[in-house]
Order: sequence, then structure tokens, then C-alpha cells
Amino acid sequence: MDRLLLLLPTTTYRTEDFLAAARSLDVDLVCASERPNTLEAYLPANFLTLDFADPDGAAAVVADFSRTHPLRAVVGVDDLTSIAAAAIAERLGLTSSGTVAVKTARDKYQMRQCLAAAGLPIPRYRRIALKDDPFLAARGVAFPCVLKPLTLSASRGVIRANNFDQFMAAFRRIGALLARDDVSVSGDGADFLLAEAFVPGIEVALEGLLIGGTLHTLALFDKPDPLDGPFFEETLFVTPSRLPDNVQARIREVTAGACAALGLAEGPVHAELRVNAEGPWVLEIAPRSIGGLCSRTLRFGTGMTLEELILRHALGRPIASLDRERSAAGVMMIPIPRAGRLRAVRGEDDARAVAGIEDVAITAHREQELVPLPEGWQYLGFIFARGETPAAVEAALRDAHARLSFEIA
Amino acid sequence: MSEELKGKVQELIDTMINPAIAGHGGYVDLIDVQDNRVYLQMGGGCQGCGAADITLKSGIERLIKDELPEVIEVLDTTDHASGSNPYYTAGKA
Repeated sequence: MDRLLLLLPTTTYRTEDFLAAARSLDVDLVCASERPNTLEAYLPANFLTLDFADPDGAAAVVADFSRTHPLRAVVGVDDLTSIAAAAIAERLGLTSSGTVAVKTARDKYQMRQCLAAAGLPIPRYRRIALKDDPFLAARGVAFPCVLKPLTLSASRGVIRANNFDQFMAAFRRIGALLARDDVSVSGDGADFLLAEAFVPGIEVALEGLLIGGTLHTLALFDKPDPLDGPFFEETLFVTPSRLPDNVQARIREVTAGACAALGLAEGPVHAELRVNAEGPWVLEIAPRSIGGLCSRTLRFGTGMTLEELILRHALGRPIASLDRERSAAGVMMIPIPRAGRLRAVRGEDDARAVAGIEDVAITAHREQELVPLPEGWQYLGFIFARGETPAAVEAALRDAHARLSFEIA
Repeated sequence: MSEELKGKVQELIDTMINPAIAGHGGYVDLIDVQDNRVYLQMGGGCQGCGAADITLKSGIERLIKDELPEVIEVLDTTDHASGSNPYYTAGKA
């Protein structure tokens, strides 16, 4: 039986879906987290504790483990684990993009350097040290601009600044965010931020799978809510895209070029691009699959999940089809409207009753301390819809969301 | 048969599983055993925990099946959405 190592941070939304996919593939599963599972002492062949922030150390631990428990594949489920997964795979000769490529993609500054060198369309950018004087740093930036941490995800710490005052406020706010105990950054990620030109336009997300260096587009999502700042909270993702075919083709082409420039060759890719009259602009190329519970919008072939597809690729098993189902689908990541404690959620049954709504998953728990963007990194939950057209899906998601109410005190 | 199996599962929970997961403020209750399927409910730090699925399917189920091979599967009946003090809380990374 194939043995599969899944790197599952204790705080990821992705656990349930990856475990379900692993079970469906009948593999001997080893789960690794950054903190020990309470049952690890009883099941040392099935649980590992790895420091994901130390990829070489993690690779050494797994190499030792694999002498007695040979591994067929390793998969990191999100950003926190992507470099460690690549380092482990490289050390054991398993299917993965190279560690250098994944590291480059994980650092927004290094990624932009690489993409700029390849002549790909990206916003003008500068890396600024957090120890620098923000007033002096702002003098070298054109407005409007967007300030962002180098390594955080989910729009955490991403702030638009239209003038000097906003720049300095954003600069200090990101510095304070990166110093928080619940923010896991180190090295350049803790010492620098990125300032880049704000690109007006609409935003899309491309979900892809790299096989032997070729990018296969699994889905292209429109983000119908405008993302113009001051913060960039992602809410709606709807696929298929309603953009013209030639624009979609250009998005795929630019994304494939970006993956090639970075050296990414195997595994899932989640790309974020802006699109305006000048064409697509690359904002992010992340060597992982879509975050949160959003993958539940995707089904392939006769019903395969995105997680099964990713695991099949890593295990070298056949994939019957990379084609997404024909119906439109979408998700709303339910934003946190304000800080406070979640006291109650109302209207779930009403929201589920909306035609086209498949599920409403409230992931925040009662009494949870809610932190909105730009400091926060969680959602209240997720709403899923499927329908004949993207417009119908979007309408269903908005209707369902409007029926929910959250008591936050 | 089910009553006998139920007793064995309960003993495993009492002697092995609950003492271990108590380290994270969690516990499991045995709800029933039917047709060699074990129905559990998780509580305390396990209810709503981001790692509950790992603990249940890769930990508890494996331990029970290793000790009691006649068990087909272990099923979680927990209302995780109602958990108010989970040990780990999920977020988008």
C-alpha cells in the first residue's frame, strides 16, 4: 500500500477535505503537524511533528522516518507547509516542484524580481525595510500604492495607500501585525514589506495543476466584488469566468509563463491576477491549492474532488479527467464585519433554502474572538452554490449571505 | 455481539484514548456500536477543533481497529459547529 505524508498545520481549514481524499485512495496515511497530536505516542508510524518553518530540519526528520516507513508522496496542504513539503520531496526524490522555486514563490519580493526578469506583467514594486523611516520610504513611492507583507496570505496585512499619511499609517500597521505572536514570519518576511503600484481593474483567480512543467487550468474564478481597498477582503469566487475567451486565454498564458519563470513544475498552483484594458497583471503565484473551504466548489470528471486530484498526481496515479463539471459554481467567504466575540448566528436554514445553495458552513465557533482584516486571517464561514450560470450562482450566494446575521459583541 | 464490542470499545476509550486527548482538554463519548460501526461524540477541546478529524480518523479509528479488527469504521456524530472552546481554530493560510 502506498504511504502518503500529509503536512497539515493544526490551524488549516483543509484537513477534512484532504483526509477524505486520502481515505478514498486507500493509502497508508501519515499526518504531520507543527505540534504533536495527543495520540502520537500510541501511533508513531502515523503521526509526525515537524517544524514547518525549518524545511531542512523537517526533511531530515522525514528522511529518517522514511528508512523504516518508505513514502510514496508528500503533500503540503497550504502556504505554511509548501516549502517544507518541497524540501522533503526533493530529499526523498518524490514528485514536487523544486525547493528553490517554491521558496521564490513564497516571498512576494523574490517572486516579483523573478517575474520582472522574465518580462511578465507585474505592478511596479519596491521592498522596504520595516526599520526604515516610513516618511522617507514614502517619498520613493507613487500613489495609489498597496503595501503588503512578504509572506502572509489571504489578504492579511494588505493595505492601499493613496497618500503619504495613509502610507505611514499602513506601514506602521503592518509592522505591528508582523510583530504579533499569532503571525508566523521569519527572516525577510519579518523585516521587510512590499510596496507596489495599485492596479485598477477586476481580479481573477486561476486554479491549476502543473504536470511535468505544463500548467493545466482547472478553473478560472471571477471575483465579482470590487477589490479597491483600503483592505482587500476576498468574498465571492465564481467559476466559470464571464470574461471574454481571448482574455481568459491571455490569463492562462501569463500564468503559465509565471510558473515557468519561477521554475514551478509539479503540483497545484493558485494564481491571483488583475485584469484591465492593458491585459492581465500577475499579483500572486502560490504553489498550493485554493485556500479555506473554497475547493468544495470544484468537481472534476465524474465527481473527483480537487484534493483527490492533487493526491493522485503526487502518488503518480491515473487521473481520469482534469475537466471541471459543466455547471457554474461559486463560494462566498463570509467576511468578519467587525471585531468582537461571536455570540450567535441566525438565518442558516433560510440561507440554505435559497435555490442553488448547496451548503452553508459556519466555521467560526461561538465565543470566538473575531479579528477583521487587515489583521485577521479567518472567516465566519463559507457559502457554496451551484447553478446553470455564473450569474445565477452569484445571485444565490448574495441572497444567502443577506439572510444570515451574526451577533458580535 | 454489539454489547460485548461496545464494552471493549468503552474500555479502550477509558484506558487509552481519553487519558491521551485530555492533554488538549478533550474527550470522546461512546454513543453506540451498530453493525460493527462505532459512533462517537467529541467534546471539550476536541469539539470544533481544527485537528479533530486527524485525531478521530487517523488516531482514534486506527487505535480501535488495531485493537478490535472487527470494527469497520468509527463515525463522528459531533456537532462541531457548537463547540465553544476548540483547542485549535482553523484559519486561511
